[in-house]
Amino acid sequence: MAEAYIFDVVRTPRGRGDSDGALYEVKPIGLLSALLDAIPGRCAIAPEEIEDLAIGCGLPLDGQGYNIARAALLYAGWGHATPGMQINRYSASGLEAVNLAAMKVRSGWAQLVLAGGLESMSRIPLGSDGGPLMYDPEVMIRASYIPSGVAADLLATLEGFSRESLDRYAYESHLRARRARDEGHSHPSIVPIYDRNGLLILEEDEHLQPDITPEELAQLPPAFETLGRQGFEEIALQHFPTLERVRYLHTAGNSSGAADGAALVLVGSLEKGEALGLKARARIRAGATASTGTAFMPTGAAVAARKALQLAGLSPKDIGLWECHEPFAAVALHFQREMGIADAAFNVNGGAIALGHPIGASGAMQLGALLDEMERRDVAIGLVALSAGGGLGVAAVIERN
Amino acid sequence: MIRYKKDTDNIVTLTLDMGGRSVNVINHEIAEAFVPVIEHLKGEKEKGLLRGVIITSAKKSFLAGGDLEYLYRPGSPEEIFHFAEKLKGILRDLERPGIPVVAAINGAALGTGFELALACHHRIALSGPKVWLGFPEVQLGLIPGSGGIVRLMWLMGIEKTWPILSSGRRYTPQEALQAGLVDELASSPREMLDKARAWLLQNKEGRRPWDRANCSIPGGTARSHTVATHIQMLAAMLARQTQNNYPALQAILSILAEGSRVDFDTASRIESRYYTGLLRSQACNNMIKAFWVDYNFIKEGGNRPKGFGKFRPRKVGVIGAGRMGSGIALACLSHGLSVVLKDVSKPIAERGREYVRQRLEEWVAEGRKTKTEGEDMLRRIHTTESSREFEECDLVIEAVFENRMVKQKVMREAEEFTDDYSLFASNTISIPITKLAEASLRPENYVGLHFFPPAEEVPLVEIVRGAKTSDETVARAFDFVRAIRKTPIVVKDDWGFFAARVQNTYILEGITMLQEGYPPALIENLGRQAGMPLGALALADSLGLNMVLRYENQAAEHYGAKYVQHPAVSVLKTMLEELQRPGQQKRAGFYDYEGDTRLALWPGLEAHFPPAIEHYEQKGLVNRFLFAQVLEAVWCMQEKVIHSVAAANLGSIYGWGFPAFKGGVIQFIHDFGADAFMEECKKLEEQYGQRFKAPRLLSKLEPEKIA
Repeated sequence: MAEAYIFDVVRTPRGRGDSDGALYEVKPIGLLSALLDAIPGRCAIAPEEIEDLAIGCGLPLDGQGYNIARAALLYAGWGHATPGMQINRYSASGLEAVNLAAMKVRSGWAQLVLAGGLESMSRIPLGSDGGPLMYDPEVMIRASYIPSGVAADLLATLEGFSRESLDRYAYESHLRARRARDEGHSHPSIVPIYDRNGLLILEEDEHLQPDITPEELAQLPPAFETLGRQGFEEIALQHFPTLERVRYLHTAGNSSGAADGAALVLVGSLEKGEALGLKARARIRAGATASTGTAFMPTGAAVAARKALQLAGLSPKDIGLWECHEPFAAVALHFQREMGIADAAFNVNGGAIALGHPIGASGAMQLGALLDEMERRDVAIGLVALSAGGGLGVAAVIERN
Repeated sequence: MIRYKKDTDNIVTLTLDMGGRSVNVINHEIAEAFVPVIEHLKGEKEKGLLRGVIITSAKKSFLAGGDLEYLYRPGSPEEIFHFAEKLKGILRDLERPGIPVVAAINGAALGTGFELALACHHRIALSGPKVWLGFPEVQLGLIPGSGGIVRLMWLMGIEKTWPILSSGRRYTPQEALQAGLVDELASSPREMLDKARAWLLQNKEGRRPWDRANCSIPGGTARSHTVATHIQMLAAMLARQTQNNYPALQAILSILAEGSRVDFDTASRIESRYYTGLLRSQACNNMIKAFWVDYNFIKEGGNRPKGFGKFRPRKVGVIGAGRMGSGIALACLSHGLSVVLKDVSKPIAERGREYVRQRLEEWVAEGRKTKTEGEDMLRRIHTTESSREFEECDLVIEAVFENRMVKQKVMREAEEFTDDYSLFASNTISIPITKLAEASLRPENYVGLHFFPPAEEVPLVEIVRGAKTSDETVARAFDFVRAIRKTPIVVKDDWGFFAARVQNTYILEGITMLQEGYPPALIENLGRQAGMPLGALALADSLGLNMVLRYENQAAEHYGAKYVQHPAVSVLKTMLEELQRPGQQKRAGFYDYEGDTRLALWPGLEAHFPPAIEHYEQKGLVNRFLFAQVLEAVWCMQEKVIHSVAAANLGSIYGWGFPAFKGGVIQFIHDFGADAFMEECKKLEEQYGQRFKAPRLLSKLEPEKIA
C-alpha cells in the first residue's frame, strides 16, 4: 500500500479570539488564503499539482460557510485544478482533515493533498451555528449534552484532580509556551498576516500571557459553576450517580481561550514528492477517530490514541514526543495519566491553555508543532491527539524518515 | 349549542351554551357545531352583512378546557391528531384575515377554553372573583394542543411564554391584563359587550401578527443566539427540577424551539404532533387519573361518612403559635376563615401572627394575593393566651409539641369553653388519637387532623379517626379540610397513619442500601431520579433518625410475633447510639450541616459503612425504592388504614412527594403493569426478603379490581 508523507506544515499566528484580537479585522477566508499564497513559494510547486484541499472548521457558517475551502481556493486564484472541501469534527477537525488527506494518498486515489483547518472565533463564536446537540432541547436531553466546561469539571471530579494540580499544569503550559516563543520554536512554520497593502497585522501568537503568576491563577473564580448549577450538573449525575456533586475546578486560567487562526499540512505520496523535489519530513503511520460513547466525555483523545497505536503496531513507550490538545487542564492531565507519559515528553511547547484554541485549526497546528519539535529534538516517532465535542477523539502517529 | 344573534350594526354574537352540561367544554360536539356557523359567517361577510363577531358564553364559565372524559381514554394517534388538527382548522378559520372577532370572556377560560379566546383578535375579560384564565394543562401532564402554545409565542415571545405555560398558573383578570393575556377588562357583563362592540366598530379587519407581512415573534426565534441560549438554559433547568420525568414540560420547550423556526401553520402542526404523543403517554394518563379521577372522587365526598349535612366552619381556634400552628392559621385565613391563635402568652402567640404577616408579604410580592386580600386576612387573625376566646370557634386544632400530657392538657382547657357541637382536633404525627381522646370531655367530637409542613402549602390533611370518633365528626372534619381547599384522606389510628408510615419504607430502604455497601451518593441520586423529592438519607435526617426508628418500633409492636426486623434498624441504632448523629436537628446525621443548610454527606459514612458494591443496575434500584412504598401502601389498604385507591394515590403525591408522573402509589402498579409488578415483587423478595412479598390483597385480587 502507498504511504502518506508530510512535506510541509504552515500556520498563521494565533490571534486572540475576540473583538480585541489582532485578527478580528481579517475575514476568515483571508487567514486561509494567506497560507495558500505561501505554499507555492515555500515548496516550489505549482498549485495545479495539489489535488484537493480539506479544511476542518468547527463553525462552518457565515464567513466560514458554503464550503470555505472551495471559496478560499477561488479567492486565492488557484481553484482550477483543486476542488476543496470542508469537514467538521469539532475541535479535532484540523487533524481529521489531515488524516483524510493521508487516507486519500494511502488509497492511491490522490497523490498530493493539502489539509488543515480554520477558525475565526472572534468573528464566529462558539454556538453560532445553533446546532441541535447544543440547542434543541429534545436532542440535548436525549443525548445528555453537557457544555464542555462542565464536562471538564466532571472529568476532574471523577479523576480526583485538585484545583492545585490543574493550576500547576496550566502554569507549566504558560511557561513552556513562553520559552518556545522566546526561542522561536515555531518560527519555521508561521506565516505572518499582512493587510492588502503588505502592512503587517500579526506575526506572533497573540494569546499568550507571559507574565501570569501561579498566584494569579489560583485567584481566578470557577468558570462553569453557574452553568453547572443551572442543571447540567444534574445531567452529569444521572450518568455518574455515585458522585455526590461536581467540583468546579476549571477557571479562565486553566482552560483554553478562544483564538483565530488557520493551518495547512501538505500530504502526499513519496513518489509524487520526489517527482516535485519535495523533502518528506515524516510519514503518517496511522490515524484514528473514536467516540467515548457519550455526548460529553472529553476523553476521546486517549481512545483515539490507543486505536492509532494499535493500527501502527506500536505501544505508548515507542512514542518519543506527545502532543495532546488541552482545552482544559483536566483533559490533558487525564490523557497523560491514561497513556503514562513523562512530563518531559508531553506538550513540551505548551498548548491551548497558553496559546488559545482556534477550534477547526488546532489539530493541524498541533501536528505541525509536533513535527517541528521532533526535528529539533531528533525524535523518531510522535503522537498527536485531540479530544473534541460530542465525546469524540482524533489521533495520528507520525514517524520521521 | 351555539346561539346566533345579529344586531342592527351587523355584529353577530355567538353564545356558547352546551346542552345538558353546567359548563361548556371542547369536544367533538362543539367542534362540529362551529363548522356551519363559520361557513354562514363567511357568506354574510361576502354579502357585506357582517361587521364583526363577539364570542361569549351563557354559562358561568366562558369555556372550560378539553373534555377530560375524552382525554382520559384517548383514541388512536390518528384520531387524536386529526381531531386536534380539525379544532385548529376551526380556530384558524375564525381568525383568518377578514371578520374581526372579539372574545368576551365572561367567566373562567382555562386550557382549551383560553385557546379559543387566544384565537380571537381581541380579548375582553370580565373582572370577577371566579374568572380565571390560563393554561393548567401541565398539571395533568398535558400541553395546550389547539394552537395555544404557538399563538402565545407569537403574541409575547418565547421568554414570556415559557413561565405561563410551564407553571400551569391560573391568572385573575387583572394579572392576565398585566401579563398581556387579555387586552381589556370590563367591570360588568354589559360593559364587556359594549366594549366588544366599540372595538368592532373601530376595527374593520381582524388580522393576527402571524398573518401580517414583516411581523415576527417578539424577542426573536430560536435561530437567534440569545434565544437559543435561553432555551438551552431552560432545558438544563428542567433536567435539574424534574429529572426529565415530565415529558409535557419538555414538549412545550421543544415546540417553542422548533415552532419558532417555521411559519405559524407548520408550528401549529408540530404542536399537534407533540400533543398527540403526550396524550397517549403513560405519564399523562397517570396524572389525569390522579389529579382528575382520584381528585374528583375525594372532592365529591369519597370516604366521607354519608348522611351528615355540610359543615361550614367560620372561626377556627389554633393552639400553638409555632411553625405548624401558624401555618394552619394561614391556611385557614387564606380561605376566608377567622382564626383565634393561642399560645402560653400573648407575646408568644404574636410570633405566630408575625409569621403569617411575613408570609403574606411574600405572597403579595409574588402576586398570589392582592394587598387588600393580605390586609383583610391579617384582620381576621386574633392572638390570645386564654382558652376563653375559643368560645365562638367551630373547631379548635392543637398543634403543640409532641407530648401526650401537654396535648391532653391544652385540649381539656379548650373544651371547657367550646360547646357540644364544636370539634377538637389534634395535629400529631405519632401519638395515637385514641389515647389522646381518653382525656377528652367529648371523645366523639375529637379527631386527628394531620397537616404536613409547611401547612399553608401542602395540599393534604390526614383525618385520623380514633376509636370513639363519631362518623359525624369525621364528616365535619372532612368538610373543614375541603373548606380550606385541601385534600382530606381518612386514615386509621395506627402508627404513622398513612403518609408517614409509607414514606418511612422509602427511608428504610435507602438506609438498608447503605448497609449493603452502596455508595451513599448513589442512594441519594437514584432516589431523586426515581422522582422522589429528596434522597432517602437526606429525608431521614430531616425527619430525625429517632422518628424513623420510632415508626419502625411501632410497626414491630403492631405485628408482634409476625414482625421481621428491618435491616435498616441496626444502621439507625449505630447512627443514634454509637455515632451520635441523630439528624438535621442536631446538625449531624447522614449529612453534615452548617446551620440549617445541608452541606454534604458525612465523610465518616465511608468508614462505618464501607462502599462494597461497584456494579449495580440503576433501574433495579429505582424499582426497589418505589416498590417498597407501593407494597406498604397496599398493606395499608389491606389493613384498612386507608380506604380508597384515590386517597392512597393523592395521599402519596401530596403527602410525601411520591412521583406524580406515576399517578401515585397505587396507580404505580398499573403503570408498571400488574403482571410485571408481581414478577418484580418475587424477584425483590428473593433478593431482599419478606418485606417485598406481595400482600394478599394483591395476590388474591386482580390488581385491576383494587383500583
